[in-house]
Amino acid sequence: MPPAVQFFNLDFSYPDKTDVLRDISLSISPGERVGLIGPNGAGKTTLFLLACGLLKPTSGEIRLLGQPVVKGGFNPDIALVFQRSDDQLFCPTVGEDVAFGPENQGLTSREVDLRVQEALTAVGGQHLSARPVHHLSEGEKRLVAIAGALALRPRIVIFDEPSAGLDIRGRRRLIPLLQQSAPTVLIASHDLELILETCTRVLLMDMGQIIADGLPRDIMSDEVLMTAHGQEKPHSLVPHQVAHRHTAA
Amino acid sequence: MSHQDNRPDAALLYRWDPRLRIVALLLLAFAFSSIKELHAIPAITALTLFFWVISGLPARRLWHRLRYPSLLIVLLAVTLPFAGGSTPLLNLGPLTMTQEGLESALLITARFYAILILALCFLGSTPVHQTIRAFQALGLPGIMADIALLMVRYLEVLAQDLQRMRRSMQVRGYQGRACSWKTIRTTALLTGNLLLRSYERADGVYKAMRVRGYGHKRPTRGGFSATMADKAAIAAVTVMAIGLTWFG
Repeated sequence: MPPAVQFFNLDFSYPDKTDVLRDISLSISPGERVGLIGPNGAGKTTLFLLACGLLKPTSGEIRLLGQPVVKGGFNPDIALVFQRSDDQLFCPTVGEDVAFGPENQGLTSREVDLRVQEALTAVGGQHLSARPVHHLSEGEKRLVAIAGALALRPRIVIFDEPSAGLDIRGRRRLIPLLQQSAPTVLIASHDLELILETCTRVLLMDMGQIIADGLPRDIMSDEVLMTAHGQEKPHSLVPHQVAHRHTAA
Repeated sequence: MSHQDNRPDAALLYRWDPRLRIVALLLLAFAFSSIKELHAIPAITALTLFFWVISGLPARRLWHRLRYPSLLIVLLAVTLPFAGGSTPLLNLGPLTMTQEGLESALLITARFYAILILALCFLGSTPVHQTIRAFQALGLPGIMADIALLMVRYLEVLAQDLQRMRRSMQVRGYQGRACSWKTIRTTALLTGNLLLRSYERADGVYKAMRVRGYGHKRPTRGGFSATMADKAAIAAVTVMAIGLTWFG
């Protein structure tokens, strides 16, 4: 079975910003849940946009399931859940938005309805189907955005900051979705505890390069490495020798 | 205008196929606008009342929607009787009200309100996105329908952005006094900022649409189906419209 995602010597620059990605070479196997961590501007979102064919590399190549990624092409095997749910939820109602992807796959009405039901059930949002999108809470928007991606029945799902703006309850509802949404999952997040909880592999990125690649616990426990690249050790990996809460006298 | 202002399912007008509802509205609007005789006014008034009743649109809400357009027509209705004509009815100092002027004012006012109320009843009874889809089913190009739908969808988001920006200005002491250079400048900055945000958002939305296949295949789902009752209703409206055009 070919790797799920491969990047070969990838470089990318925007017109007004050079070296956003520098010589990225990476292979992600089917079944892996990979977390991308790093400071803002490290290139995580750009990497995702390239993987989905929304941007064209300056040089290098990207392959999805063994096939080269073509800019502007549509590959339903890969789905992207955007950081801002409002960008992704552009249809008037939840049901219509979730149906958007399957309709573009040329499926029949019946198949589309089935996919919508399936996807909304997977996120626990069946009751939202007729709701106008702008009437949803932030947590509900996130769930619907995920449903919209799942409706494509992708083999790879990319999540860009999935827990941003969510309350504790929303975050807890998100975790099983991140773990079970697709065979292969890529998650970019500043929520390091979320990455620890959901990912089997972590990539630390900074200034357009992959700095470290390995087990989440190994990389995130390295305080020097994490601090040097704008991160910090997740709280759950900090030994609790000193009381960490200061209470008023 | 809230674009979720749809009538309850119980309203008879709401059950009509949206495409045929639009066609009926256009037919009636054309017919109403073509009447030239005062004796047709009771007929168009009766029809308008009939459709208002079956739309279930509350009188209060209807009046709310009519307020601002009424300012315009009232101005016209008040001045037109004095604007011309050869049969004087009343002298008010230098002004002379004529029969022709009064008749014109009555005709224009009756047609205006009839068409406007019909439009509010027919279109106000459907969610905006369904209306746009109905127009698309009637032949509106897909790209225009998509633009209209996206406009409707993101107006709320823009309004929320604007509200947040205004609040942030208020908490920093901005009071927005009219006709001051500072107000003009601030309004211009606010507008420019909203435009920039809209552009960035549009870019994000477009990427989200592309990644889910937009532009690769035109979706073939319809979603409308007219019943025999719908077809009978449009036939009846067509007859009424022809009758009004002929005899009005």
